[in-house]
Amino acid sequence: MNDGPLIVQSDKTLLLEVDHERAADCRKAIAPFAELERSPEHIHTYRLTPLGLWNARAAGHDAEQVIDTLLEYSRYSVPHALLVDVAETMARYGRLRLEKNPVHGLVLVSNDRPVLEEVLRAKKVAGMLGNRIDDDTVAVHASERGNLKQALLKLGWPAEDFAGYVDGEAHAIALAEVDWQLRAYQREAAESFWHGGSGVVVLPCGAGKTLVGAAAMAQAQATTLILVTNTVSARQWKDELVRRTSLTPDEIGEYSGSVKEIRPVTIATYQVLTTRRKGVYPHLELLDARDWGLIVYDEVHLLPAPIFRMTANLQARRRLGLTATLVREDGREGDVFSLIGPKRYDAPWKDIESQGWIAPADCVEVRVTLPSSERLVYATAEPEERYRLASCTHHKIDVVRSLVASHPGQPTLVIGQYIEQLDELAAALDAPVIKGDTPVKERQRLFDAFRSGEIGLLVVSKVANFSIDLPSAEVAIQVSGSFGSRQEEAQRLGRLLRPKSEGKTAHFYTIVSRDTVDAEFAQNRQRFLAEQGYAYRIVDAEDVGA
Amino acid sequence: MSATGFRTLADQLRSWPDERLSRLLVARPDLATPAPHDSAQLASRAAARSSLLRALDQLTTAELSVLDALVVVGQTSAEGLASVVRAAPASVEAAVSRLLDLALVWEAPGGVRALTAVAEALTQTGGATAVSGLRPVSEDPPPAADVRRRLDELSPAARALLEHVLDSGGEATAGSARHTVLPEDARTPAEELLARRLLVPRSGGVVVVPGEVGIALRGGRTTVDTVDEEPTLATSERAASIVDRAAAGAAFEAVRRVELVLDQWGLAPPSALRAGGLGVRDLRATAVQLHVDEPTAALLIEVAAAAGLLATAADPDGNPAWIPTDAFDQWTTQPVVDRWAALVRAWLESPRLPGLVGSRDPAGKVWNALAPELSGIHQVESRRMALDVLLELPAGEVLATGTGVPSLVSRVAWRRPRRPRTRADQVAWAVEEATALGLAALGGLASYARPLLSGDEASGLAGLAALLPEPVDHVLLQADLTAVAPGPLESQLARRLQLVADVESRGGATVYRFTPGSVRRALDTGWTAAELHEFVAGVSRTPVPQPLTYLVDDTARTFGTIRVGHAEAFLRADDEAALTELLHHPRAGTLGLRRLAPTVLISSTPLDVLLPRLRELGAAPVVEAADGTVHVARPDLVRARTPREHRARAAKVARETAHAAHAVTAIRAGDRAASSRPEVPATVLTPSGSMAALREAAEAGETVLIGYLDNQGTRTERLVDPVRVEGGSLTAYDHRSDDVRSFAVHRITTVLPVTPDP
Repeated sequence: MNDGPLIVQSDKTLLLEVDHERAADCRKAIAPFAELERSPEHIHTYRLTPLGLWNARAAGHDAEQVIDTLLEYSRYSVPHALLVDVAETMARYGRLRLEKNPVHGLVLVSNDRPVLEEVLRAKKVAGMLGNRIDDDTVAVHASERGNLKQALLKLGWPAEDFAGYVDGEAHAIALAEVDWQLRAYQREAAESFWHGGSGVVVLPCGAGKTLVGAAAMAQAQATTLILVTNTVSARQWKDELVRRTSLTPDEIGEYSGSVKEIRPVTIATYQVLTTRRKGVYPHLELLDARDWGLIVYDEVHLLPAPIFRMTANLQARRRLGLTATLVREDGREGDVFSLIGPKRYDAPWKDIESQGWIAPADCVEVRVTLPSSERLVYATAEPEERYRLASCTHHKIDVVRSLVASHPGQPTLVIGQYIEQLDELAAALDAPVIKGDTPVKERQRLFDAFRSGEIGLLVVSKVANFSIDLPSAEVAIQVSGSFGSRQEEAQRLGRLLRPKSEGKTAHFYTIVSRDTVDAEFAQNRQRFLAEQGYAYRIVDAEDVGA
Repeated sequence: MSATGFRTLADQLRSWPDERLSRLLVARPDLATPAPHDSAQLASRAAARSSLLRALDQLTTAELSVLDALVVVGQTSAEGLASVVRAAPASVEAAVSRLLDLALVWEAPGGVRALTAVAEALTQTGGATAVSGLRPVSEDPPPAADVRRRLDELSPAARALLEHVLDSGGEATAGSARHTVLPEDARTPAEELLARRLLVPRSGGVVVVPGEVGIALRGGRTTVDTVDEEPTLATSERAASIVDRAAAGAAFEAVRRVELVLDQWGLAPPSALRAGGLGVRDLRATAVQLHVDEPTAALLIEVAAAAGLLATAADPDGNPAWIPTDAFDQWTTQPVVDRWAALVRAWLESPRLPGLVGSRDPAGKVWNALAPELSGIHQVESRRMALDVLLELPAGEVLATGTGVPSLVSRVAWRRPRRPRTRADQVAWAVEEATALGLAALGGLASYARPLLSGDEASGLAGLAALLPEPVDHVLLQADLTAVAPGPLESQLARRLQLVADVESRGGATVYRFTPGSVRRALDTGWTAAELHEFVAGVSRTPVPQPLTYLVDDTARTFGTIRVGHAEAFLRADDEAALTELLHHPRAGTLGLRRLAPTVLISSTPLDVLLPRLRELGAAPVVEAADGTVHVARPDLVRARTPREHRARAAKVARETAHAAHAVTAIRAGDRAASSRPEVPATVLTPSGSMAALREAAEAGETVLIGYLDNQGTRTERLVDPVRVEGGSLTAYDHRSDDVRSFAVHRITTVLPVTPDP
């Protein structure tokens, strides 16, 4: 027996005891090949997945190293079958390589002919490959580079991509670190991305993902296309880039529903790219409008399916994905891996918090009891109506009111899903409301007023879920959401995590109706954050404000 | 060895010291049962074929080759024997001494001699021995040099032919070759050989290679290959500590998995097939559940059964199923090491062949795990041989990947050349199974397995105990409602925790998750919220997270909100007082009434009994139908099924009409009889008198009233019109029955003339 911090389970999970003295070393050692699944207070759970192991191979680790690491840190003996499986899985990577051939262009090369033969016969890759050049080499249609990688991954023979990236049109970008410094983890994230070529950086909301993007641009020194979720977010990116880099406002273009500028650095929304007219995507040429050297995908967990397809054609360009949660409710994490790239950097939220870069948060779930009249209505309602009924109970308004009252002077957001409920709340609290039909200008005005402290209370719909930078918000009260969406919960908490002056704690309240689907969804929503180490307290509505 | 030799084997045995004799009886235990009378009987038993075959099975290739050479060359001196066996003299000597110990050979005055029965046992049909393929040397062999010279004279074709014949059994058909030719006249290679007596004709046109020729062809030895070199094992270096850790991990997993599968089967036993095995689907499900492949799952199940932890019994529905035994309950309370030892002991002794599971038997039927026929008589020995070879490897040396197991197979084959053909599989299984059970890992035995296999179980188990994770008595509770036991939990604790939380991940550590369902499960089995709080706080080394406390309270709050029970009938009334009165009525005790709510009572008495009883008690109940409407009840009237004959209504009417008509006629007749009754009593007539009167009436065609005693002795009066009187009887028209009847005259008591109606 060995006194290591790691316990290797036969179901391929790794349990890391956080309080162990060698935990930090162990975390560093296993991070390249194991995916962090949960990080609650005491024991973090990592999982060995084929993706993670291939990722490690791509980063230059071999099976021997992985096995040695496991044996070195493992407290108990490591199941033999697992070691064999690790070695076998890792050996599958790199049997096939994508290379640039001076004569034939992009080619698929293998030194293991049976593998190549197996792949050539697979239906999934039919049509992506050109002529057989010799026994071990097959030409690949340049346009199919992404699709082929995706297909090979599904076949279990991931190809190593040596074909490299185009440099893109050069454009000088430098970080303007005058009155601020790139944080250590941001630098590390940008560097590990650059080293890997393409990939995804996972950082908590409020941890400064924009700066990771800026640092990557400074590394690339090339024209950059930034894809963001909405117009407000696009404007924020622009402001941030102007402030933090040598770029001037003239060098940054916005490509959205209202403005269509193409500049050396262009920020486009997903929406405009995925607009379809008569079956074609009219704004698709943006992707080829310039010789982009870097493409940044903000909030990669929201990447819509058409963007995936477009990304398949952009495999020769460097791609950076940014997200707070690589949890996709549609389970397309594999597509993110093969098309944008593997996860290049990941830091547990609590780690960043302990370094003081994001504010600590106090998460509270408030349970209101429906009066029996409403329970009766709920009990007899159609199943699809139930969530709306449960989450929109009028009793929540009283709770919101007393919660708001218990945080006087602290900027507060009330977040909800249903417009009528938000309207009622706004009326009850006498606060402005921002929802989908609020014009962008009005939204900007309200957000600005909130940031400056003019308004202390804002009722917002899900439009404020992502990428809206409201650093001053200290309290968020969630009254309803998109059912059991884990990433929405994380994003909403993220609104609060910009570091506060005097290290104040943010407060995140979720109000749910007891014994209804509302409470069940809340359970599911909280799982991601609970696994990130955010402990929810549960209190009864009667105890609020008491 | 005695210089002079003995006259018989019995003599030799008689001369042996007791110690040597007992060694023989240990090596060949079948000789000792029942105890032989004397050495002569022992010697004769030792020469019995069945006993000999068993002894031969124990020989190594070297020993068997020496014995074989002895059979080929016949009785010979030790030196003579050494010269014909292709082996070092020392190994020949060692072999001879073992053969002597086993009483397969004995020392005759002229040298060592194999038992005659040995030669028979070793000889195949055709006469060549099984090992070298040579025939015994001829009665009066020519000198070896002579044979060599004759061989040298052969043409290449003849020599090739001879070698071919020797290699293919030493026997051939002569065909057209002439048997008696001189070397000079030989026209064919076969004739060349026959002429030089290198092939000797036998009856039936068969020619054979004599032993001395075969030996000469093989360079003066009985075999071409050296026989005393054990095949080398393909090995590689591997640190003993790594082997130990990997094996200990497997040992721990094996125990845990057996416990897991048997726990599961205790709740939901898989049914036993009619032929006695375990269904393919159940095996597959078990493999999935245990995170192992199917052969490993089969092995674990087989070992559990061999260890007596699993057996067939009737499940609750009475069908045969595989169910853990009560020994399993005892087993689970033991420390891991002892549990492992129980499994390993069972495995070492078990003739079962789990390695066959999933493959097909010669008839094409898939072998099922736990099938009764799934065992082999040689399995225990082959397994043991394989382990013994591994045991000889020094620590730090393991079987090489890939080539290791085949080399192990050939080593075992060298040691027991007469063992069956399936040995390659059996040896490979032995290694695989030992690895799965944690006796070996990475192709080498674990250090703790060595003393265990050498008979020192205690120190072996102590060695394993040092490698196994220490049992822990606590868990770490986390805010995401998981609890992690950072090591194997103490058995009792693990069982309790499994009740209140679901297991998410198993291995060295165990991850549990608390869910509303798991907490409710604990409440179902009688825990209270307070006990749950106390339990989690007690086992946790970390503070209990608030969400868990809340979860327990919240689940306890709704637990039992809805209660279910049995009732035969319910009673409800808006009048609470009426129900109270009923409930407290002195005679209501037997109705089993219980109050559920102010206006609701239930009763354990069925409705049909309850209803009349309630009425007796003065209540006025009405019965509610299933939909809540009132059922007006009236007393149930008894009705029988309508009889069949009454259904034909027309027939009934006709019959009734006829019946009425009869009645009317009778009534009328009676009326007339009454009306005609004279005022004077009728005088009793003598028979002759009445005959006369009747005859008279018949003649006159008058109607008379007769008194008549019928068959029952009843006196009746009949109104008749006599037709004739003869033979003692009266034939007359009877008005009552509206028919002509006959009456016995002697029964007629009176005859009265009837006055016709006016």
